[in-house]
Amino acid sequence: MSTQLGRLLLLIVERHLIWALLAVLVAIGLSVPGFLSVRNVINVLWSAAPLGCMVLGMFFILLTAELDLSLESTFAVAPTVAIVLMLDWLNGSLWAGLTIPITLALGLLIGFFNGTFAVRLGVNAFLVTLATLLTLRGIVIFLIPEGVYYLPPEIVFLGGSRVFDLIPVAVIVWLALYAFAWVLINRHRLGKSIYALGNNAEAAYIAGIDIARSKVAVFTLAGMFAAVGGLLEVGRLSSVTADMGQGDILMVFAGAILGGTSLSGGVGRVGGIFAAVLVIAIIENLMNLYGVAPSIRQIVFGLILLGAIYLASLQGRLRLRPEAR
Amino acid sequence: MVMHRLPEADAGMIDPIPADTASFELHRLRKQFPGVVAVNDVDLTVRCGELHGIIGRNGAGKSVLVSLIAGLIRPSAGDIQIGRTRVDGRSYTPARAHDLGVSLIPQEPKFAPLLSVTDNIFMGRPAATRLGLLQLAPMTRSVKHIIDMLDVAARPGDAMGDLPIEAQQLLAFGKAFYVEQAKVILLDEITASLSRQRKQMLLDLLREMLRQRPDVSVTLISHHIAEIMEFCDRVTVMRDGRAVETITAAETTERELANYIVGDEKIVSVPPPSRGTGERRAPVLRVAGLGDGTGVRDLSFDVAPGEVVGLAGLDGSGKEEALEMLCGLRTPTTGEIRLNGKAVRPRSPGDAIQLGIAYLPKNRERQAVIQNQSVEVNTLISAYRQFADRLGLLRLREARSSAEARTEALAVKTPSVATPVDYLSGGNKQKVMINRIAMTKPAVFVLNEPTRGVDIASKPVLLTTVRTELSVDSGVVLTSESEEELIDVCDRILVFFRGDVVARLERGDPSFTVQTIYKVMQGVESP
Repeated sequence: MSTQLGRLLLLIVERHLIWALLAVLVAIGLSVPGFLSVRNVINVLWSAAPLGCMVLGMFFILLTAELDLSLESTFAVAPTVAIVLMLDWLNGSLWAGLTIPITLALGLLIGFFNGTFAVRLGVNAFLVTLATLLTLRGIVIFLIPEGVYYLPPEIVFLGGSRVFDLIPVAVIVWLALYAFAWVLINRHRLGKSIYALGNNAEAAYIAGIDIARSKVAVFTLAGMFAAVGGLLEVGRLSSVTADMGQGDILMVFAGAILGGTSLSGGVGRVGGIFAAVLVIAIIENLMNLYGVAPSIRQIVFGLILLGAIYLASLQGRLRLRPEAR
Repeated sequence: MVMHRLPEADAGMIDPIPADTASFELHRLRKQFPGVVAVNDVDLTVRCGELHGIIGRNGAGKSVLVSLIAGLIRPSAGDIQIGRTRVDGRSYTPARAHDLGVSLIPQEPKFAPLLSVTDNIFMGRPAATRLGLLQLAPMTRSVKHIIDMLDVAARPGDAMGDLPIEAQQLLAFGKAFYVEQAKVILLDEITASLSRQRKQMLLDLLREMLRQRPDVSVTLISHHIAEIMEFCDRVTVMRDGRAVETITAAETTERELANYIVGDEKIVSVPPPSRGTGERRAPVLRVAGLGDGTGVRDLSFDVAPGEVVGLAGLDGSGKEEALEMLCGLRTPTTGEIRLNGKAVRPRSPGDAIQLGIAYLPKNRERQAVIQNQSVEVNTLISAYRQFADRLGLLRLREARSSAEARTEALAVKTPSVATPVDYLSGGNKQKVMINRIAMTKPAVFVLNEPTRGVDIASKPVLLTTVRTELSVDSGVVLTSESEEELIDVCDRILVFFRGDVVARLERGDPSFTVQTIYKVMQGVESP
């Protein structure tokens, strides 16, 4: 009996530590009145959605042992350019709803550019995406230094409206995106190639996988995920500002790593990062509910994150492995 | 060449040594790994001032033996005596070996590639003042001296990683001899990459060093007979973990040495090919005039479905380059490859798989196994295309059941196909890799040492698979470390020597024997 319990505990620690962490946070939340109210739960999910999209993109890229710093700029520049194009340059002559596919296309394009530059030309992805991080943010500041407010409803639909006056469309989009990612990872050739090359690139190459093509595909997808996140954020705030998403990239890394994604590639699960995004959102929410003073919020958040990341790091060390190779 | 003396290498301080003093002695030394006795009750005495050779084929136990002497692994039984010190096997470590003056120079010296030659040579024991300030000028002078002595094309400030491997080996030797003042120097294949001229130079240098410091012994490991004969005073032949003979080099011939090395026993482990003598089918693979400009010249052969062709040769003889050209890892500069009559040029392994050439790489852990992934994924990774629809979505159930069928067919020992491949033994991992390439249903299998790092029990199983399953409708080209295995499974064996095929042996010929292959690939005998 006790060994069974022990084995169950080990299994949780080994594979699902982040869910245990999530459960702990929810338990803490139960002591706060209003935490489990429908409104609060929806707010938590709603605020998690935009970040969640970027974390998903980073997750894919980290699996291939690359990284992309520019996701937070893609997050802002894709909707910005699409909105400025539709409202200013074309002066609203086309249906505003076209902003959405244009945003996605821009995200794909930016991701494809990052991937091609980093992978095909063999330049370190850190440096390439550092440069695009700055350049793309510069484009946003150049185009909308003061931001754009009062957007037409077709544009804010994805991020701002609700179904049945209850469930935000943003949350549905976010869940649908994770479902799509889950299928790609688990039931698609690309997923198999990603894990193979992330764990052993030389073996994957000899086994016949086109490494460059898979990596470029992953960068491209990540660009699109970030653009979707940007659209959700634009809708949630009903506006675009020049500093949208600025500095978020570190939180994106935190989410991916907290969710059990390895920085050296090949290890991570969609479920893990989903839980990690919720953990981050709940920490913020709990601080709101506890009324933590704004001046010390960042300190508290940083410390909680440190603890959470330490706990999550136990996962790798406590793995059930016969012995080191 | 004038001998400059380093302050550290001052021979004048040492008392004269009587000629027959042992530098190190082994008594009934034994090392047992699970399922195999790698070193079997070896007695060996190497004298001070002696150049001693250890020769034997791959897997004969040479490397394990020197690893035992250098403390890298611990003996299962027996004694080691270094100089006058008897070593306790249980507490013998590389550090202790080092203190006793044992230095092993491996085939690929472990230097810090970005640090300079000087920093590497004085790593861990730099010349410093009492305050810890480095005495750079004397160190640089010493390194210059070592470089001059060994005639290495390098400067003290060069980054070690930029130097060719042979230069690094020589510098490792210089470090052991001059800086560390080692008394028992073990050289693992140091001569393999050297040109004739440099070999002669190294030999002269070793002789001169031993004359100056007669308390030192140098032990040379090699599987090149000619070199051992040239360099050494005495030679110990190892075979199947035993030291079968120790001979004075001057009193033997290359032929006699080869006979000792090969022995005369033959282990029958694989059923001989059961194919009838029916007419040969049209070749599936035709190679004509293939060369890569360096390692292989003008290679021509063909393989019919149902045939197994073995490539034999020493490391660097060109057999490996030949395999790599077939599977898209190396670009040929001359000649052509025809697959089912059509000229093909594989540009990558993926391309080769599409064309119908499947490759099993030599270094399993580095080049084949995908760690952290299941047996299923490792079996299917080259074949997922077959289970994907137009959008790339996989029919997972179908994929899994065919992985399960293959896993069962080769009797891979694993709890289930969902088990991470990391939990499997070497032999079972190799079966998974064989399954991986078999899944692609190729016209030609290219196997680079399929039995490497595989336990004794799995070897015959793998070879039988090659013989009875892989070669049914496909051609097989393979290499092996063991000539017995080639004799067991091949229909034809091409023997490589320095980039050329010097012999083609057909099954049934009187010369189709381990002994012939071994002698031909050594260059001792021409067919």
